[in-house]
Amino acid sequence: MKILVAEDEMIMQKTIEFRLKKDGHEVITCSDGREAIQKIEEINPDLIITDIMMPFASGLEIIEAVKRNGGKNIRIIVLSAMGQENVVLEAFQLGADDYITKPFSPNELSMRVKRYSVETKEVTI
Amino acid sequence: MKLTITFLQIDIHPLIGLLYFFLGLMVMVFLFLIFFSFYKRRLEIKKKFWEETIFSVISQVIFYEEDQQPEMEIKLDKSLLHNSKFRQYFTDEIIHVKKNLFGAPASNLRKLYTSLYFDKDSLQKIHSTKWYIKAKGVQELAIMEQVQYVKEIFRLTNNSNELVRNEAQCALVNFYGFKGFRFLNVIVHPISQWQQIQLLNYLHDAKSTDTHQLKKWLASKNESVVILSLRLATFYNSFEVYNEVIQCLQHPDQQVKLNALMYLKKIASGDAAEKIINCYNFSDRTVKLSILSVLEEIGNENQVSFLLKQLHDNDDTIKLAAAKTLSCLHPMGKAFFQTHLFADQNPWKAIFSQIENDRAA
Repeated sequence: MKILVAEDEMIMQKTIEFRLKKDGHEVITCSDGREAIQKIEEINPDLIITDIMMPFASGLEIIEAVKRNGGKNIRIIVLSAMGQENVVLEAFQLGADDYITKPFSPNELSMRVKRYSVETKEVTI
Repeated sequence: MKLTITFLQIDIHPLIGLLYFFLGLMVMVFLFLIFFSFYKRRLEIKKKFWEETIFSVISQVIFYEEDQQPEMEIKLDKSLLHNSKFRQYFTDEIIHVKKNLFGAPASNLRKLYTSLYFDKDSLQKIHSTKWYIKAKGVQELAIMEQVQYVKEIFRLTNNSNELVRNEAQCALVNFYGFKGFRFLNVIVHPISQWQQIQLLNYLHDAKSTDTHQLKKWLASKNESVVILSLRLATFYNSFEVYNEVIQCLQHPDQQVKLNALMYLKKIASGDAAEKIINCYNFSDRTVKLSILSVLEEIGNENQVSFLLKQLHDNDDTIKLAAAKTLSCLHPMGKAFFQTHLFADQNPWKAIFSQIENDRAA
């Protein structure tokens, strides 16, 4: 599965990338919202994992851009901090599919991604 | 006509001196700017180097897996560890990453923190005389889950500085959940509302409570301890302390009464409504309104006569609250409004129509 990871904290970005690559996914990373929006158009990923708070464009703006550009089949997982329930609700309203609250375990993320990976395979078949 | 030019006799020596002075000053400023920019550049290069080094070590640690490699190898220039600023920068980065992760990576970060003896640095901080260093030390040990220093942290839960004791209290609850609240036995300072919310947020074990301790805290002379205990009893649905909570309804403090009412709203026994009514006349307006609101949840037909009396209170807000509760508990429901003697006159008309609108909404 082709996954785009939008996360401005380098260590977190590398952690997620490492874990997902280990699971056999193709991972593309970016460090800010504007770059993420550009890359989504270029590579058309199956899944986007995005942080909410990012420079230039927030995670919510990324979701909006994806849905506006007709990316209905692109799944979106939002990474949020504790106490951001309102933002998570807004993300769901905009079209996010799932969310993970920080602190999180890379294993948990891997399992959630796996669920979408199975769905993507079924659609392809 | 004769033209006469007269030259003023000016001594130019002081002017030359002044000129030299300003020239010297300019050279000094210029040199200062050069040295400062050089120093700043050096600092930036050093910071970048530190960042890269720390990033590399943290990455190694996060991705380390016990099943693939028997021992964690850390590639790091040991001389850097003698620099206290580097150690602090490294500690801050570990803590920042640890806040975002749990599971094996978080556990690896904990091992890194202790293997580089950063825990000793944090411990040293909590012995500092400056409150902000002390608080930072406690916070570091708490985030890195350094339970072995619980004795040192426990001593700070009653510290004279509010921020230090707040950090220490949060650390204990973070370590042990409900058991961490044992500082309530010794605390003499009040616990702010904000701190109480913070402490409840740190609770992660929803199963274990010590009823004996809760009973003891509910009888504490420190009012904030009683309030926090009431909140804990509500959080844990602790029915065992029901009688002690009923006693709290007689407490002189308004917040204690309000929190006791919140408990009874959630965990009510058959006689709770009558017990609440007994303390109504001795309560202030805020508590009275809260009582009327709680009765709406836990009351029954037996409280109708009491509520009818409250309709004659001078305060219109109390009249409204009593009428609202009556509309729930009265056997006739909302229809009882029509039977009221002055139902078509104000304020009754306004009160009843507001209740009807609320219900419709």
